[in-house]
Amino acid sequence: MAVKKQAQQLARQLFKLSFENGSISAERVAGVLAYVEKTKPAQTVAVLKAYERLVAAEIARSQAIVEHAGPIQPDAVNAIGALFSKKYGRPVAASAKSAPELIAGLRVRIGDDVYENSVAARLGELAANV
Amino acid sequence: MSTVLEQIEQQIAKLQNKAVKKNTGKIRSVADGVAKIDGLSDVAYNEMVQFPNGVIGIALNLEQDEVGCVVLGDVSKLKEGDEVTTTGKLLSVPVGRALLGRVVDALGNPVDGKGPIDAKETFPVEKIAPGIMARKSVNQPLFTGIQAIDSMIPIGRGQRELIIGDRGTGKTTIAIDTIINQAKINKVGLASGDPKFRPVYSIYVAIGQKNSNIVRTIAALEAAGALEYTVIVTAPAADNPANQYLAPYAGAAIGEWFMENGEDALIVYDDLSKHAVAYRQISLILKRPSGREAYPGDVFYLHSRLLERSARLDGKGSLTALPIIETLAGDVSAYIPTNVISITDGQIFLETDLFNQGVRPAVSVGLSVSRVGSSAQIKATKQVGGKLKGELAQFRELAAFAQFGSDLDAKTKAQLDRGSRIVELFKQPAFSPIPIELQVVTIFALQKGFYDNLDIKKVTAASVALREFFATRKDALLTEIRTKAALDKDLEAKIEAALNEWKSTYNG
Repeated sequence: MAVKKQAQQLARQLFKLSFENGSISAERVAGVLAYVEKTKPAQTVAVLKAYERLVAAEIARSQAIVEHAGPIQPDAVNAIGALFSKKYGRPVAASAKSAPELIAGLRVRIGDDVYENSVAARLGELAANV
Repeated sequence: MSTVLEQIEQQIAKLQNKAVKKNTGKIRSVADGVAKIDGLSDVAYNEMVQFPNGVIGIALNLEQDEVGCVVLGDVSKLKEGDEVTTTGKLLSVPVGRALLGRVVDALGNPVDGKGPIDAKETFPVEKIAPGIMARKSVNQPLFTGIQAIDSMIPIGRGQRELIIGDRGTGKTTIAIDTIINQAKINKVGLASGDPKFRPVYSIYVAIGQKNSNIVRTIAALEAAGALEYTVIVTAPAADNPANQYLAPYAGAAIGEWFMENGEDALIVYDDLSKHAVAYRQISLILKRPSGREAYPGDVFYLHSRLLERSARLDGKGSLTALPIIETLAGDVSAYIPTNVISITDGQIFLETDLFNQGVRPAVSVGLSVSRVGSSAQIKATKQVGGKLKGELAQFRELAAFAQFGSDLDAKTKAQLDRGSRIVELFKQPAFSPIPIELQVVTIFALQKGFYDNLDIKKVTAASVALREFFATRKDALLTEIRTKAALDKDLEAKIEAALNEWKSTYNG
């Protein structure tokens, strides 16, 4: 239990060191990985796994994945990115991903938040309420 | 008010064709009914979260990296990586009159096979108890129909009276008797058309009990015609601990609806020992630090916040609570019993020894107390039974000397004799509550010495015969006692005359 906590604490410290100008920097991450490889802390795998989770969550926070059922213009994707950058007050890069299971409409994922306006979601809601 | 606003908000949400924002997370692990979730960065404490397949959970631990949720449903349907979303709602249960006569689970879903419940409103399961200003002192009686309790340990509307004792001492029976008595009073009162009459609706919360016991309780209530005034909330032993933990709060929410709407309700928590155990289980699985007897640090708050919700509100109704606690070998000084004793306004202590001696209900007069006391009694009961508690306490003290019978002086002998008659008089079979007017007559007969010539063993039978005589032949007199609620000289003379009439015919 205590070992797991220590690993998490170290991972959090390493995560804090991975930032440059308020965002994750590839250089710093490489530096952190080099440090881990060199020092080989206790529970290296657990530390790296926790570190990966923290970094992945941080990266997801600045990425808007726009899932779409029909065709979507690159301009629209960029506009969505710009809109969310303004809303969240940090740069958000939008990328499109095809998701035919939505039937029609869009679903945007930014970190933990999901914005959805799709036929599939409405049908799901309807099914849950019947 | 909040429900009205919720309705309007729902209507607006329907009209708007906007994207819906959800906060999501992913299940990292599921064990022992608790899911650890990555993400859910916006979740609030005690918020309901939605798992796949319609399963819901409650966020109970908000930690730096993960959220600990108890799952209220089938855990076997969940797997690692499943998406979980926040709902923005606190856990609520349906409330209202539509629940009367129904059996529901901890989430308010019907489990009695009588179809869906048409409830118009929902109340949050967790709610802050009414404050000081909203309350009013307890001074209206709530009759249990049990002579020993109504005359010596009276319960008032809005009071919290603990029923405590070992297993098999008749704790549940007292609670069920009280519910049955409320139903009887409701029937008479509602039929009389008295505009001042305030019915009492009951809520019975079964926590961690055997299903067979719950079925027996429901059958007893149904047989007595009390089910139509009662809501039963069940979280049986086979239910997951999260539901057992939530059931009393759900019951309290159902009771609060009656209280908020100016009506009176009675809630029985059967029993809070098992509730504490269920909460201990959840807390240990959530890895919260454990304290005495491995209960978490907030086990006192667990029960205090629940019982504080029972109150008599100024200008509104009341919620009376009868929590039940099971002791081990009569040890009232154990952790959970002392906690609940200190929260409640008194306790009815049931003793195994008395139960085995055939004194049923096995109420221990010395250890039982009602802190609200005689302000929750009608004047007639005070007049006839005011000194009974003292007399019985003296009797118990003297009973130790009873074995030296021959060496006792006449006064002590007389006290012992009277004490044994009172004990016999208070014996009462299960599920047969006695209306307050008949209790007054029974005890009045004792005060006037109508049982003095009888053999002690025959006192119980004589009192039954007396009540039968009054119930069948002196209905007008009983109604007068009930409506006046106090004995004046004229009424006393009438009762005495009726008692003489009974005595002349009784040859037991």
